[in-house]
Amino acid sequence: MDLRNLHWTTIAKVAGLGTGLLIVLGAVFVWSGIYNVAASKDHLRITTWILTLIRERSIATHSFKIEVPALDDESKIRLGASHYEGGCVPCHNRPGEEINSIVKGMLPPPPNLLEIGKHRPPEEIFWIVKHGLKYTGMPAWTNVLRDDEVWALTAFLASLPATAGDYGELAGLSRGQGNAREEPANGRALNVCVRCHERDGMSTNGNRVPRLAGMPEAYLLRSLQEYAQGTRASGVMEPVADLLSEEAMRELAAHYQALPPVAGTAEPDPEQLRRGEAIARRGIVGQGVPACLSCHSGRQSQQFPVLAGQNAAYIEEQIRLWRRGGRIGTPYGRIMAAVAGALDEGQIEDVAAYLASLPPGRAPDAPLAEAGR
Amino acid sequence: MSLRRFIVPVSAFVLQGCAGLQSALDPSGAEAERIGTLTWLLIIFSTAILVAVCVITAVALFGGERWRARISGERTVIGGGLAFPILALSILLGYGFYLMAPGSTSARVEGGLRIEVVGERWWWRVTYVDESGRRTESANEIRLPVGRPVELELTSADVIHSLWVPRLAGKLDMIPGRTNVLTLEATEPGISRGQCAEYCGGPHAFMSFYVIAMPEDQFSSWLSGEAEDALAASRDQAAGQALFLSSGCVACHRVRGTDAQGTIGPDLTHVGSRHSLAAATLENDVAAFVRWIRDGQHVKPENLMPPFEIFTEDELRQLAAYLDQLR
Repeated sequence: MDLRNLHWTTIAKVAGLGTGLLIVLGAVFVWSGIYNVAASKDHLRITTWILTLIRERSIATHSFKIEVPALDDESKIRLGASHYEGGCVPCHNRPGEEINSIVKGMLPPPPNLLEIGKHRPPEEIFWIVKHGLKYTGMPAWTNVLRDDEVWALTAFLASLPATAGDYGELAGLSRGQGNAREEPANGRALNVCVRCHERDGMSTNGNRVPRLAGMPEAYLLRSLQEYAQGTRASGVMEPVADLLSEEAMRELAAHYQALPPVAGTAEPDPEQLRRGEAIARRGIVGQGVPACLSCHSGRQSQQFPVLAGQNAAYIEEQIRLWRRGGRIGTPYGRIMAAVAGALDEGQIEDVAAYLASLPPGRAPDAPLAEAGR
Repeated sequence: MSLRRFIVPVSAFVLQGCAGLQSALDPSGAEAERIGTLTWLLIIFSTAILVAVCVITAVALFGGERWRARISGERTVIGGGLAFPILALSILLGYGFYLMAPGSTSARVEGGLRIEVVGERWWWRVTYVDESGRRTESANEIRLPVGRPVELELTSADVIHSLWVPRLAGKLDMIPGRTNVLTLEATEPGISRGQCAEYCGGPHAFMSFYVIAMPEDQFSSWLSGEAEDALAASRDQAAGQALFLSSGCVACHRVRGTDAQGTIGPDLTHVGSRHSLAAATLENDVAAFVRWIRDGQHVKPENLMPPFEIFTEDELRQLAAYLDQLR
């Protein structure tokens, strides 16, 4: 046979036969079960190399266009650390501590994150936290709407290892364990409300956490139920509420309603307060924005949260969440969506600053909506 | 099917459009009557010309030698092609100007009743300003005294709308930052329907209203009733009123005489007495209130009132009953 004068049909036949043989061999290999998927046996070196390469390229490519907001914000770091304690510690353990021997048996084992802020740029951390990683046990965030929460966790991770020494304080561990009423049902790490929310005389752990003391019980209960049903999106609160029984929710709602509020420490500028007051009390008629206090002063339905004295950063973030369509899962949320959509960024900051500056509890009696146009 | 059996029902159906609450061919206002006169005059005149042209064409094709020579003569061309159109159109134009002149601002009534109508997305804010300057705000319905010209000051709060009540007058645009004045004079009591006549966004087609022309004495007693505050809620309505006041409705709506002082949406002080809900989108009854509060976004998609799906059936009925008795 003259190899130099092969007809193209012969080449096609040989190639076809070869491909067929490979497919058959591959099928035999898969069906035979020879390949060992046990986590107790490490990958071949080449498999590890390929998997790592694919993972790193994928992370780099997918996080390429992510814009990083300001992360050197203590309240973001506090919120991130607090969620880390409940959501991440089970696998990754606290920064600097060895991961436990059970999760060590995972393949790949969850990495120690003490140095993560040095190894990875924030956009990569954000992308991994938000989307998780296939076949590694790293889960995606519970929903895709709460980038604000993912950025808070990213802020904490990016601040490592510098903040590792303060971890206990940032994550609210030093705020103490809750007493029996604050730590309901199965007192897992997630359910220690006081790590983030108020406890006797102490304010919230950073100003991105909502103040709950003195809120109407009906509103608090409904919020917990909505988190548990997943109709109100939050990667932080959904897992917390999932673990609560109906009775525990009722107890918690009653507890926080009865808790005396602690005054805030905001010092906004008077000009901003004046603008914010106009919006909160009279609305912006031309923009179709009703007065905030016509629902949120504490004198209306018990289903509406009282906003006097609420943390400004929390109010702002929630209004932005509404504007992104992140809170339309509930009937109450859909009402507010129309209002939030009519506000612009400057107005959001003004009105949040004003509401935060009010003494907590019921807003003072005063004429609300505007008389004329 | 024979042609006749087809044409009769179809033309009957089509001609129905010429009658009714929103027909320019069934005028009940001074300006609409003048428009009607002009319309019929033009229709008759144009029909006569059309018939004449058809006859001349037929003669030109099939007529005898003498007739054809006459048609092709210079006198016919100059007379029928130049002199007649110039003369006829000039007379018509002059007559049109003469006829429509009373509808212009020259008919202004100093110090009389004025009605300010503001086009909003997608409803009408209606404010009556009477002889003494007293302002009474209402919405989505205009009441007029019969036989008295009333000025409507038209403007818009957002985009361009246009107010058109075909049975009463021609249409006039409502332009943001500008006030256009339309004078309406109803000649007989009764109801007509008006419509926004300038595309203004999604629910534009649902931006309508009723105009109710009433005899002078009825009108003045109606207006003084409309100017009054809402009656205190009876014991039956207390639950509905409490829901209204505590559930956020008051942020946008006003019911005079209560704490509800919102100005973003329509004034509801006497909403139960109007002929329709949601700018002539729904009938006005308890069931319609229930539908509107809960399913407003299905009834009139994209309207600016958020859906209130927060009430139980009982609460909805209480709230609707309260609103329904605001008369």
